[in-house]
Amino acid sequence: MAEIGLARSAAAGTPLVGPEARIQIATVLGVWGMWEALARSGLFYRDIVPSSLKVFAALYAHLAEAEFYHHLWTTTYEVLTGFTIGSLAGIGLGILFGVRRFLGRVMDGYILALAPAPKVVFLPILMVVFGIGVGSKIAMAAMSAFFPVVLSTVAGMLLINPTFIKVGRSFNAGPWQMVSKVYLPSLVLPVITGLRLGLGVAIIGTLIAEIKLSNAGLGFLAIQYYEMFRIPEMYAVIIVIFALAMGANALMTKVNDRLGRRGMPNASDISGAA
Amino acid sequence: MAGTLEVRDLSKHYRRDDGGSVHALDRVSLSVEEGEFVSVIGPSGCGKSTLFSIIGGLVGDYEGEVRVDGRTIRGTHRDIGMVFQEESTFPWRTTLENVAFPLEIAGVSRAEREAMALRFIRLVGLEGFQDRYPAELSGGMKQRTAIARALAFSPKIMLMDEPFGALDEQTRMLLGDKILQIWRELKQTTLLITHNITEAVQLSDRVVVMSFRPGRIKEIIDIDLPRPRSSESISTERFGRYVGAIWQLLREEASLGMIESENV
Repeated sequence: MAEIGLARSAAAGTPLVGPEARIQIATVLGVWGMWEALARSGLFYRDIVPSSLKVFAALYAHLAEAEFYHHLWTTTYEVLTGFTIGSLAGIGLGILFGVRRFLGRVMDGYILALAPAPKVVFLPILMVVFGIGVGSKIAMAAMSAFFPVVLSTVAGMLLINPTFIKVGRSFNAGPWQMVSKVYLPSLVLPVITGLRLGLGVAIIGTLIAEIKLSNAGLGFLAIQYYEMFRIPEMYAVIIVIFALAMGANALMTKVNDRLGRRGMPNASDISGAA
Repeated sequence: MAGTLEVRDLSKHYRRDDGGSVHALDRVSLSVEEGEFVSVIGPSGCGKSTLFSIIGGLVGDYEGEVRVDGRTIRGTHRDIGMVFQEESTFPWRTTLENVAFPLEIAGVSRAEREAMALRFIRLVGLEGFQDRYPAELSGGMKQRTAIARALAFSPKIMLMDEPFGALDEQTRMLLGDKILQIWRELKQTTLLITHNITEAVQLSDRVVVMSFRPGRIKEIIDIDLPRPRSSESISTERFGRYVGAIWQLLREEASLGMIESENV
């Protein structure tokens, strides 16, 4: 009985660590163990699978270095700037295509044709136009983020309750008031879904561009270490990239919970309102 | 204050997707005097909702005229407040924010519009619920929010399209009383679209009976029952005679509508 008492929180009687989390933790530990076993087995050429201790040492060394933060900041700046440009364009055009259905149907063809295409094919053009510095990375991030955002905004526009539009019109709302007070609040959920996907592909686009050709950023750093065959350092950078992506996702989840729940009552908020 | 509403020779054809056309309204003429309460009743498919949308300015491309205080209007109009059949309260706004919406659109300052909104929230009996979201309110409370919102626009004419259509009978009766009470207090000209005979007789000075498609005015009946009325008036014998007379007029039209809906 004592062990059960330890594993469960006393108050609610629910496990402190749920079964899902237990499996997740076990998986991480298992993979880590296998990694270490492989690293020490000598089956691979030295350092292709470096010991995790070396990776952590490299990570620690990086975090203490000012140069590293320059690369981290460059990538963050490129992702955020590109994502902002791409998603604002996506939301704006999405609303326009939703309101002007004829224009929307005309544009649908292009958007649907371009959306699934890997944006990396445009990279050479973006390099030529914006150079090999941050410009082409921002353009790449913007282009990547644009498509999921515009698609989910248009989809959201088609699903807006037509009565809400009639209400807005019946009170003589102007076009901008319709956008800010009727369309945007109605679009919160689909737009957040689009933004979530958009941020993910903006990160991918930025890193691909950095890996291909650049002089700064985490992607540049990772590929540079690869070319110098400094594999533990390369893994250290990859871990940072993972952390960045997870942080971005956590941020979007928070935004989603914050905005998406407005007007959606929690079970605890409902009292007998008959 | 004025607020006379006049509809002259209104006709409307809808184009169907298959290329055909539906004759929704056929030369409908009607006038509602200042402060009068008029109901339009008819079977499904008589074009009464089309009439609502045209007067409210949400549907264009019609023949004929809509006049407010003698002036022809096209499109939405400052003097007309609309209450919709479907749920129309914004789920992301509280009761207070919903009711204040038209004032916000009109650029009224926050403090002023909240004070005005509260007054109408009180009027429809939703005091204490001003900070609730629609998801926390019942269907009847949501419709009262929508009514308060239309009233906050200070319209001379209230236009309501089956505002209680989705509610149960008891709630509908009690809200009918509420509507009468508000109407006594504010005296706005009111045009109510309904398919409920009892509701039409209970509330109205006159009931306009419409025919099945194409919608025409079949007859206009003066309801000569003493006011103030309430849901209790329905137990009187005269009330019953009005209901019976309107049903006689509607019966044939309603069965035409039923035959068509069964054939489709």
